Formats: sequence, structure tokens, C-alpha cells
Amino acid sequence: MYRYDAIDRAFVEDRAAQFKAQVARRLAGEISEDQFKPLRLMNGLYLQLHAYMLRISIPYGTLSTTQLRKLAWIARTYDKGYGHFTTRQNLQFHWIKLRDVPDILDHLASVEMHALQTSGNCIRNVTSDPRAGATAEEIEDPRVWSELIRQWAALHPEFSFLPRKFKIAVTASPHDRTAARLHDIGLLMRKGREGLGFEVIVGGGMGRTPYVGPTIREFLPAEHLMSYLEAILRIYNRHGRRDNIYKARIKILVAQLGAEEFARQVEAEWEAIDRPSLDLPQAEIERVRAGFAAPAFETLPGRSDAFEAAKAADYALARFARNNVHPHKQPGYAIVDISLKAPGETPGDATGDQMDAIADLADAYSFGEVRVTHEQNLVLAHVKLDDVAAVFAGLKAIGLASANINLVSDIIACPGLDYCALANARAIPIAQDIAVRFANAETAEKIGELKIKISGCINACGHHHVGHIGILGVDKKGEEFYQLSLGGSAAEDAEVGKILGPAVPADKVTDAVDQMIEVYLRERHAGERFIDTYRRVGLVPFKEAVYAEAH
Amino acid sequence: MPKLIRLHDGHAAFANDAYVTVADEDETPASGDVILPLERFRTEGEVLLSNGRNVGVLLASDQAIEDIAQDLTRLSLVALSFPKFRDGRHYTSARLLRERFGYDGEIRAVGEVLREQAVFFVRCGFDAFEPADGSTPEQWMAAAGRFRHVYQRGADDRDPAFIERTQ
Amino acid sequence: MKAIVANRLIDGEVVYWNHGAWKTRFGEAELFEADDAAEAAVAQANVPTQVVDCYLIDVAPEADGYAPTAFRERVKATGPQNHPQHGKQAEGGHDIELIKQAHGIARSAGRHNLIKLKK
Ligand code: SF4
Repeated sequence: MYRYDAIDRAFVEDRAAQFKAQVARRLAGEISEDQFKPLRLMNGLYLQLHAYMLRISIPYGTLSTTQLRKLAWIARTYDKGYGHFTTRQNLQFHWIKLRDVPDILDHLASVEMHALQTSGNCIRNVTSDPRAGATAEEIEDPRVWSELIRQWAALHPEFSFLPRKFKIAVTASPHDRTAARLHDIGLLMRKGREGLGFEVIVGGGMGRTPYVGPTIREFLPAEHLMSYLEAILRIYNRHGRRDNIYKARIKILVAQLGAEEFARQVEAEWEAIDRPSLDLPQAEIERVRAGFAAPAFETLPGRSDAFEAAKAADYALARFARNNVHPHKQPGYAIVDISLKAPGETPGDATGDQMDAIADLADAYSFGEVRVTHEQNLVLAHVKLDDVAAVFAGLKAIGLASANINLVSDIIACPGLDYCALANARAIPIAQDIAVRFANAETAEKIGELKIKISGCINACGHHHVGHIGILGVDKKGEEFYQLSLGGSAAEDAEVGKILGPAVPADKVTDAVDQMIEVYLRERHAGERFIDTYRRVGLVPFKEAVYAEAH
Repeated sequence: MPKLIRLHDGHAAFANDAYVTVADEDETPASGDVILPLERFRTEGEVLLSNGRNVGVLLASDQAIEDIAQDLTRLSLVALSFPKFRDGRHYTSARLLRERFGYDGEIRAVGEVLREQAVFFVRCGFDAFEPADGSTPEQWMAAAGRFRHVYQRGADDRDPAFIERTQ
Repeated sequence: MKAIVANRLIDGEVVYWNHGAWKTRFGEAELFEADDAAEAAVAQANVPTQVVDCYLIDVAPEADGYAPTAFRERVKATGPQNHPQHGKQAEGGHDIELIKQAHGIARSAGRHNLIKLKK
């Protein structure tokens, strides 16, 4: 993975020093909370219900084991011994003290990390494919471009006070694991006759008005990426709405102008902009590309007899292999997903001790690198097939061997009303309840791929709009209710789910999910996933099942 | 009234402000340098300029720099208003003034102008500031120079990291 | 009945106002019968170098004591449900038990001046 040079190092040190001074001025009363709030937010520091929350940037979801161990240490030293991985591939600590934050930032800087731009109306952490550099599907490692964007976005002088937050995703695979079409900008790598480039999608997003973003340019030569991003951001900075926080995202501007007119304005700006001064020199692109060179893979046969024998002997390992282990581009290697969704646990949480243990496994078996997925799981991207059984045993020892990736209990849930000051309702207990109901691994495998996503309010941090089943907490006359939606997708076939009907009370949510699964099992044709059946039969049978009692 | 800080050759200092900013309801003074809101400039600017006075224009945060593009050669100053420091539109305006329109007069930041934004102002081409937080020139420059390296091209003459790395 | 809640600036800890001092447990909160007395106390309590997000909450009689009316405020006064050992609930005590048993969920009714505070 990319390593900081002296410039990058100096930058995060300066940033930590700057925030230290800002905190001191706040504590001395020299700046008001109104003035301090955007400054702390630009450092990922929120005030939640019980304490401050610090959101640490994990650029494109890639961590070295040194970094993961540092996070584990921070969890134990400054928090309550755990952290929460988010749908933006970041890590949140929920029990942080303001007075400790400057020291925490120093510790992060010492391992080439920061909390810069994990909140606030600026360009946020770039999302990328957790299987980057490991999947045979991709054109090239999308993290090369993600890192270039990270640097370009860091304290951008023109774009640090945008109308609203701004999220970019980069992927280079036909299978989209970044929810690119639901970002402010989604960049899909393409290989054209002229070389590498990107399909540019602008104006997707969730929240109050969800949109699947339209494509505004089919092919942008990769070497012009920076000047083109600059043109898009400039149009947005000038014309995005600032009078209404709910209409301030770029998706609203794109929807109001129409994708064509928006694209025309971007192209006109791009014509006028000084491209040669903005586009990166080839040498810089190559420098960063070298940072993502493939690790020293061994030459191995495509099949591991040891692994096959171990699977035959251990049914649990075989199940783990079916659900959590995926093909690798290098013969004899595999991509191993680590589920942070053990039924009954908090989705996305890991303790400091678990982080340390995962770092040990990554050092022993995966070139010292760990990935974070937007579905709140972790990935060991380069595991030898020969070693999968050892990894499985290691995960079992720390309670993280759940073989449920993409299954019903692999639920995304935001922190909700247990932590978040903006929430309408709790999300975690709902996720726990559903996961426990479907904890039986056989049942879950029989049901197959099913993505349940839960948000505690319309801000949609839990991506409920794009869940096969989406669950949104609402406040109905002061009580926690949950609105169900069906048919969403965050993948390459992105779609916003449709609302099923009236919201249901908390104790009816799991029953409703159960009823919808019954409908699916009854209606499905061979080989159909839940979402496929829904697409074929429509909303009605599901609706009838859930609201049957009411009739 | 906030004290004016001017940037000259990389040095910041308090400066005497020869300009009077004419509010909408005020009479234009009979002599001296003035800063006019855009609407006033449209009606009165021509006469004042032909009398040989120094004239600046104040743009509200929703007014576009293109609206004064024709007049830039005659304007000695453009004041860009930040009603809230969170309203970042005029960072773009300043860059366009410097980089696209080649404007070399004074670009002044007025309104909720805070030290925490100094680095962004300077990098986007502003060279005069009316800090609302009472910052001194020393504090202002310390904030503007806090970062030893920058990553992007701006309207200033700092080399971004991708250029530094080639040297 | 009302009480005043805030987060302590330095560490974010949830605190309740009681006659000129901030206390860490809801059970120690001063309760106000009259709205204008409560509002006057907020003005005194909301010192920007000490607390953030300071506001009035509704409080109602519950068994042999009081609890915040709003579910949100009850979470704030106790802790997250998924980690019973975290937050104020870890200490236990009569006031915590009372809040945990309180029923009638009313998030929206419990927080005053939300709009004003948010500006
Ligand atoms: S979706 Fe709402 S409740 Fe959940 S974390 Fe985001 S803001 Fe908080």
C-alpha cells in the first residue's frame, strides 16, 4: 500500500498541531462553539449523546497492521476498548474526550493516519473497492486514483466550504462494491482505445431525497481526472443551494438542472480551466502507482489439496469457505472476508483485542494489510488457500468466524439512538434481533443473499434506501417506529428501494422481515436471489404478507 | 470596524484603509476612494471613475464575478463578502479573478473573516482581509503559513506537493 | 416539570444542572416547576467554556421518583442498550433503574428550543 513520504508526514503533523491550537483556543473561550464546531467537524469530531465521537479516516478502506494495532491501542487507551467500522470505511470511537483529541491525532499521525475531512462540508474520505489489488475483475488497482484524490482533496483551498458534504467513490471492477452510483461522484474505471479512463457519475446519494446518479461523461481520460474533478466541484461550489440544508447536496443541483445541462456546464468550465497546471504529471501518477504494486505472491497451483482436505473434514470450515472466501487473481490465493456481524453483536464493532488479533493474522497470512468494506466488515485480501484453515481457526478464537457474508444476518446498521444525537430510533437492537432470529447458519444459507440495511434516521448512514430490505427508524408521535422498504441495491444495478407501507413498531420489525422471507421462499424460482424474486413478482405479495393482520 | 490587513510580497501588515465602503442607504462621499455594492456601482460607477476616483466593487456572496468582468481593468479593488464563514462561494470568485481574468488589483475578504480561513484566503488569491476576530498580522500569517506543504495548485505561487516531488 | 441537561465541554460527559453546579447523574438534577424559572436557570447554566448543547428537558413522575419523558433523554441519562456496562448505567442505582423502567416513549416531546438551538 501507499506509504507517506516526508511531505505527507509533515502535512499530518501540521494538521495535528493546528487542531491542538484550535482546541486550546476553544477551551480558553477565544472562539465560540459556533465557530469551533465546523473546525472540529473537519477533524471528524462530533458531539453525540454520551460523549464526543471521533471518526478516523481509513482512506479507501486500506489499513496496515501497524495502523490497525494503533487503532486498537487508542481504543483501549482513550475509549472503552472498542471501535465501530462505518459504511464509509472509516472507524469511529464513541467515548472520546475533547481534551484527549490532540494527543490522539499525534498518535494517528505517527502511523500515517488522520481524521481530516471525515465530517463537515468538504470532500470526504474516498471510498474504494475492498478487493482492490486482489480481484481478477479489475482494470487496475483503483486505490492509485483514490490516493491521488485524497491528496488533491486535503485542505483544498477552494472547496473546503462547500454547500454540503461531498463523497467520491472509485472502482475498477464491473461488480461495484463501493455503491458508486450513490455517491456525489462515482468514478468507474474504463479501458478505452485511448487508454485508461473513467465513466463519471454525478449526483447520486441517499438521505432525504435518494437518487441513483446519472452518468455525465462516458469516458474521461484518466490523466485529466484532477482538472475534471476541479470543474465539477467548481460548478457545485458556485451553484449548489446554500439556503436549505436538505437541498444542498449536489444531487439536488444535478436533478434540478438535469444531467445534460449539468454536464454541459461542467464541460464548459473544463474547457476554460487551466488543465495543464491542474492535471498531475505522469511521474506523480507512477509514484503513487508504485505504492500499490502487487505484494510478492508465491507461484502456487490453483488448487490446494490441504484446503480441500480440511474443508472435507470440517463442515464449519466448508461453510466459511462458501460464504466468506472469494477468488483471487493470483492462483493459489483467496480473498477472505471477516464478518463483524456475529448474531447478537453490534454490527461493525470490533474490540481492541480483536483488532490486534486480526493484525496478527494479517501479518502471518496476508502481507500485513487489512481492508474495511462499506458493509462494515473486514477483509484479508491475499490469503494462500493453504492458510485459509489457519485464518479460520484464528478468527474462531476471537469470535469473528461468522460465515454469513451477504446473508440475512450480515446487516448494516448505523449507531442510531443508542449513540447518535440526530437519531429518531435505535438501529442496533433491531439488527441484533433480526440476526439472532436467523442465527441458524443452515437457514441463512438456504435463504441466500439478502442485504438488510438499517438507519436510525433519514440521514441514511445505514444505507437503508439500498437494502434489499431497508429499515428506517422514524418518530411516530414520539414512539420508535420503522419504515420498511424493498428492492434497493447499492451494487452495479443500483436502485432505491420502494416503501412497503405504513411504519411498524419496533417489536414487529423482525416478524415483518420473517414474513417477507417466507414470501420469497414460496415464490422463488431456481437460482433466484431475494432481490431477483422481488424484481419479478413486485411489491404486492410482500406487502400482503406483512400487513395481513391489519386487514 | 475591523482593522485592515494587507499582504504584500508575502508580508502582512496593518494598513490604512483609504476606502470608504458605501452602504446601500448611505450617500456616496463627495471625494476619496469608495467601495460600492454592485447595484450602486452600476448606477454611479461611471461618473466616479470618470472623475478619476479609485473605485472598488463589493460583491455579495450570491453575486458572480462575471458580472463585473467588463469593468475589471478600471477597478482598483474587488471586495468579496462572506456573510457566514461557511459560505465558500467567493473562494472560487477570487481564483477566477486571479487565474482567469488576470486581475491584479486588491481582492479583499470582508464579512465573517476568521483566522482559521487564512490559508484558504491566501491560497485563493486574496491579498487584503478585514478579520472579524481581531487577528493581528502576525497571527494571520502564522495561520496562513501553518502548513509546510500544500497538495493543490492555487492562485498563490506555492508549489503543490506533486511539483515539489519532482525537484 | 423540567431539568437542564448539557454535555461537559472538556470530555463530553452528560451533566445535569443543580443550583449552580453540574452533576453527572440525572438523579441529582434540579427539577423546575415553573417554565420561566427553568429558562432563567438555563441562561445562567449555559457557560460556553464549560458546557455545550445545553437545553431544557421534560421530566415526569415515575414510580417513586422522576424520569425524563423523552426516550432520547432516557438513553442519554443511562447509556447505550448494546453495551449495558457503558455509560451511566454501569454504576446502577435507583435513578437509573427508574429511568430504565419508565415507559411511554416520546422523543420529540422532550427537548425544548431544539429549533432555536440548532440555528
Ligand atoms: S442515519 Fe441518522 S441516526 Fe443513524 S448515524 Fe446517521 S444521523 Fe445518526
